[in-house]
Amino acid sequence: MAASISGLLKPWTPRVFLVRWSRYNPYYLEPEVSKEAYSRPATELSAEEKEQRELKTLRPIKAATSGVSSSVFDDPVISKFINMMMEHGNKVLAREIMTQTLENIKKKQVEKYHKASEGEREAIECNPYTIFHQALENCKPVVGLASIQKGGKYYQVPIPLTDNRRRFLAMKWMITECRDNKHRRTHMYEKLSQELLAAFGKEGNVMKKKYELHKMAEANRAYAHYRWW
Amino acid sequence: MLHKCVALKSDALTEFGVCSKDLSVSILMSLTCVSFQACHSETHIGQYYTLPSAHIRTLFPSGLPWRYQQQVKTFNEACIMVRQPSLEVISYLKKTDYSKPALRYLFYGQKGTGKTISLCHAVHFCYTQGWLVLHIPDAHQWVKNCKELLPSSYNASRFDQPLQATTWLRNFRLTNERFLSKIKTKHRYMWTKREFTEEGSLLGELVDQGISRVKSSSDVVGAVMKELRLQSGQPGSDFHLAVAVDGVNGLWGRSTIKKEDKSVDPEELTLIYNLRKLMRNDWTGGAIIATLSQTGSLYTPKSAYLPQELLGERGFDSMDPFIPVSVPNYSEKEFESCCLYYMDRHWLQHPQSRTEEGKKELVFLSNKNPSMLDRICGFL
Repeated sequence: MAASISGLLKPWTPRVFLVRWSRYNPYYLEPEVSKEAYSRPATELSAEEKEQRELKTLRPIKAATSGVSSSVFDDPVISKFINMMMEHGNKVLAREIMTQTLENIKKKQVEKYHKASEGEREAIECNPYTIFHQALENCKPVVGLASIQKGGKYYQVPIPLTDNRRRFLAMKWMITECRDNKHRRTHMYEKLSQELLAAFGKEGNVMKKKYELHKMAEANRAYAHYRWW
Repeated sequence: MLHKCVALKSDALTEFGVCSKDLSVSILMSLTCVSFQACHSETHIGQYYTLPSAHIRTLFPSGLPWRYQQQVKTFNEACIMVRQPSLEVISYLKKTDYSKPALRYLFYGQKGTGKTISLCHAVHFCYTQGWLVLHIPDAHQWVKNCKELLPSSYNASRFDQPLQATTWLRNFRLTNERFLSKIKTKHRYMWTKREFTEEGSLLGELVDQGISRVKSSSDVVGAVMKELRLQSGQPGSDFHLAVAVDGVNGLWGRSTIKKEDKSVDPEELTLIYNLRKLMRNDWTGGAIIATLSQTGSLYTPKSAYLPQELLGERGFDSMDPFIPVSVPNYSEKEFESCCLYYMDRHWLQHPQSRTEEGKKELVFLSNKNPSMLDRICGFL
């Protein structure tokens, strides 16, 4: 129903509303939040970017969500992680846990840094953001499994995953691991910081889960041709 | 680079280590300090002064704010920024005539501006000068959450708090180790029918008596305060007394302790009663440094920070006359110095926080309030 070629789009309202999708007409464009994008003069832009700017003066723009900000410290991956940790819409609590996790990681690493000798200091990474991104990268699976029916039986077939799906799986495993498999009296930020530091060093339960998925995919390699897309 | 140097005073007890740290950015000052005396003049506002770790362990077993203690553990050192309020109080302390009655200094300010740290800085100065330090880390802890309340043995209408009194005596013993064997009591104290402390016995014995006999510990605290107050200005004694109270407005406020469903007035608590007597300026040879605090106080509005509002009528009349010292938020220079210190200690890790844009955002988010800046830089 939502058209594929934007040139044919005009403002309209659909007759049937889908429950969980965005209410916006595809005619609306995404908002650009970062300040740097607007400070570039017209001479620096390529032809497509000039066209984009033209389009933005004509088309209506969607409202920005409250999760994004034009702050220089804004990180889309961290925002996504906070949204996934959020329960019952309590974004304040989820954000608080995230900031405490980052602080905890930094505290542990900086303490280690100050106690280490000169030679070991270069190897210690103190930036919690690089640790978080690297840990998430290490946890992302390369292939996933899909349940495909062939001749009355269901087979687990290895399939390639999109970037979004991989990121989602890494974050989901991290959060469920911390919620379920840790000691119940520790705080969430403590559990998360331990698990993230372990994933950064390529150890821990989340890495184990990723390797098991890879092994399953390797084992079911023979059924790969059941995939038709 | 670390330089440890012995103080110029002849008293061997006042040896302390001072750190010099050179920051790579040449725009702002480097933190070179040679001795305590040279470290604290007007030109040093905004620079960081390092407290030796041995002093931290003895002086502040529980006097520093929680987040600061965590910072000390992480950075493996304790640095305090030299700021105008504490500098002012220290300069007054250097110049006072100790034969006159004790002066009362009161740090006041909005939440999170650094009143407790200023108090600790002044207390550390007194300690390095060889004074006897009577430090009450938080007067509000004595008027709330009391687990055990006993009727006082000395006066039937008052109540004792054995737990708080014993912890305080233990900390007092740790801080003032060297004075315990020098000062002698001038009065005779009777604890029970058979236990008493003779006149002329050492202060150390009195303190040990309080720690071992938990039931009479509050009375021991009162006795210790009385002895020190009487002896401090006298020609025979060779020590100065520094009384440091954090959250002094708790002494004249209300309390949440309940005895058989009736709420207890702070006046009926032995510890508070004796502390109030100490806060009067009828003794010589020392100084009283105090801080107001809304955060731990009971039944006070959140926006109150001025002495008149927090002390109330009775408190203000008892504390009057005092020297109020306002503790404001960071100035531009102090803010820059704080950011540089965090960068030097590898605490500000986000690459954007080192740019101009990032700094402007930090100023906006924290309003140059020291505790807000500390919380924000925590996760950046």
